[in-house]
Amino acid sequence: MKRRGTIGAAAEVAIIFAAAAALWIAPNFAGDYWLQIGFRTLIYLALAEGWNLMAGSAGLVSLGASCFVGLGAYIAFGVLNKLDAPLPLALAAAGLGGGALAALVSPALFRLRGLYFTVGTLALAELLRLTMINVSAFGGATGIFLKNDPPDLPILFRYALAVALLASLAMTFCARSRASVILRAVRDDEDAAAQMGVRPFRVKLAAFVLASAVAAMAGGVQAVKLGAIEPYGMFGLQWSIDVLTMAIIGGVGLRLGPLVGAVFVIALGEALADYPEAHVAIAGVILIVLIRFAPRGVVGFVANPALVLRRPAPA
Amino acid sequence: MPDLGVACSTIAAGVLLGGMLALTALGLSIVLGVMRLVNLAHGEFLLVGAYAGLFFLQFTGIDPLLGLPVIALFLAVFAIPLYRLLLQPLAERGPEAQMMTMFAVSIILQNVFVLAFSADTRSIARDYATLPLTVGPITVPLIYLIGFAISVAAVLVVHWLVSRTAFGRDLRASAADPEAAATIGVDVKSVRTLTFALGAACAGVGGTLIGAAFQFGPSSGAAYLLNSLAIVVLGGLGNVLGTLVGGIALGALQSLGGLALGDGYRDLVGMALFLLVLAFRPDGFLARGRA
Repeated sequence: MKRRGTIGAAAEVAIIFAAAAALWIAPNFAGDYWLQIGFRTLIYLALAEGWNLMAGSAGLVSLGASCFVGLGAYIAFGVLNKLDAPLPLALAAAGLGGGALAALVSPALFRLRGLYFTVGTLALAELLRLTMINVSAFGGATGIFLKNDPPDLPILFRYALAVALLASLAMTFCARSRASVILRAVRDDEDAAAQMGVRPFRVKLAAFVLASAVAAMAGGVQAVKLGAIEPYGMFGLQWSIDVLTMAIIGGVGLRLGPLVGAVFVIALGEALADYPEAHVAIAGVILIVLIRFAPRGVVGFVANPALVLRRPAPA
Repeated sequence: MPDLGVACSTIAAGVLLGGMLALTALGLSIVLGVMRLVNLAHGEFLLVGAYAGLFFLQFTGIDPLLGLPVIALFLAVFAIPLYRLLLQPLAERGPEAQMMTMFAVSIILQNVFVLAFSADTRSIARDYATLPLTVGPITVPLIYLIGFAISVAAVLVVHWLVSRTAFGRDLRASAADPEAAATIGVDVKSVRTLTFALGAACAGVGGTLIGAAFQFGPSSGAAYLLNSLAIVVLGGLGNVLGTLVGGIALGALQSLGGLALGDGYRDLVGMALFLLVLAFRPDGFLARGRA
């Protein structure tokens, strides 16, 4: 099914770069409000792309995004504060740390399939949060402050853009290369794939490590923007919830799903900003309706997936 | 090291508390066993039970522990339309769709709690909630023992239901092989509906007990969900009595962890144990394969 689009892989990469280039100069024109919105959308996009890779391609439904967002935040702060390293280095360290943690826990999480992975990611996030709260070297319950002033919003926006770009390119690679066939084979029937010579463990591990590294980098950028982090917020379940909501609203397994989902969720948040108390419930109702009536999300619902799949980004 | 009396009391409290939570975990476990559904709204079902106990006391003046059958029934009636309207239509779509739906239900319920009952933390105020109980060197809150006793009794009733009745036979058949069960005349749809209702009732009764022992608020559910999941994994999926043992073991080990490392580490020990068991003994540390 990956051959269905009319645009080739090179064209998809070109479109992603063109969109990124256009957004790169956006801070020259856009005001602070739009940069804030754009920043959040890009961070969410990066997270949702990773989630989509795991769930849509490898069948790994994660409720642990907060785990890697939080870890990335703490690593980035550690590197920035203790080593006085430049920000790109700190983000690279966050990405490495996120990937390493994913690799470390994968034997436990992949041991049982399906739901247990979901439950395990949830528990892992909680474990990490409790560790940060209890160990005073990590700032305990009050958290850590960034020693130096964070960069200005336009610069942070471009860092978020870079992370989202990285995530999108990685997903294009996974969706366009031989890897996509292997991922789908594992998702659809792990045992059959194993008999054909695919090693499901390695495939799932690659998807999990990649998505976790991206999430950790996104967490690092987010943390630097905040200037101060504490375990309740950075490891909050809200991250995992938002990512899941975006991916489902957009359309699980569809190339444009994360982008549409991220824009949709941010727009919904802005539209309901005056009614914070009902915001979550409305998101919940939308989720239920979409799961029931549009299993392939907004993207799958709005148009024939074959046509939508390869279209350039609408935003 | 703290002195012996404190240590004994802490461990006793952990054991009683674990047994008290086992009932809630059992609700999660049977739903997981029969429907392959991790009910992510289970913590909110527990809170529905806690709020129900609170308002039952306020409006009738009857002690909520005497009203537990009413609360169980209320939760069952609350859960049946949820299953029929939201989950049943997704039955053929694999476990993820149902899990996500219950997740959405959980965030909606949290929101409804805030709107209807405010974000304040509450507790079901009864005399026995604050009374201490002293046996030799051990002192525990009386409510822990009451909650433990009720929970164990309820777990035994569910065990009897599952292992000795016609409904239990259908339930086990549906869990082991729904298609084969349907072929020999088991109404799998009704069994699943009733199982979901039974799971909710377990959460509700557990919630009233927890509401009497602790403070609770609209967002307290997630912690109990995680705790219940840990107990289920420890005790072995679908193993009714294993859940009770898992609950007691988790409670005792959490208390030991708290004693050895400091109080803040209680929950951390629980989560670490959870992941370790998941990694090394995925069928539960009792590992008696029973569906």
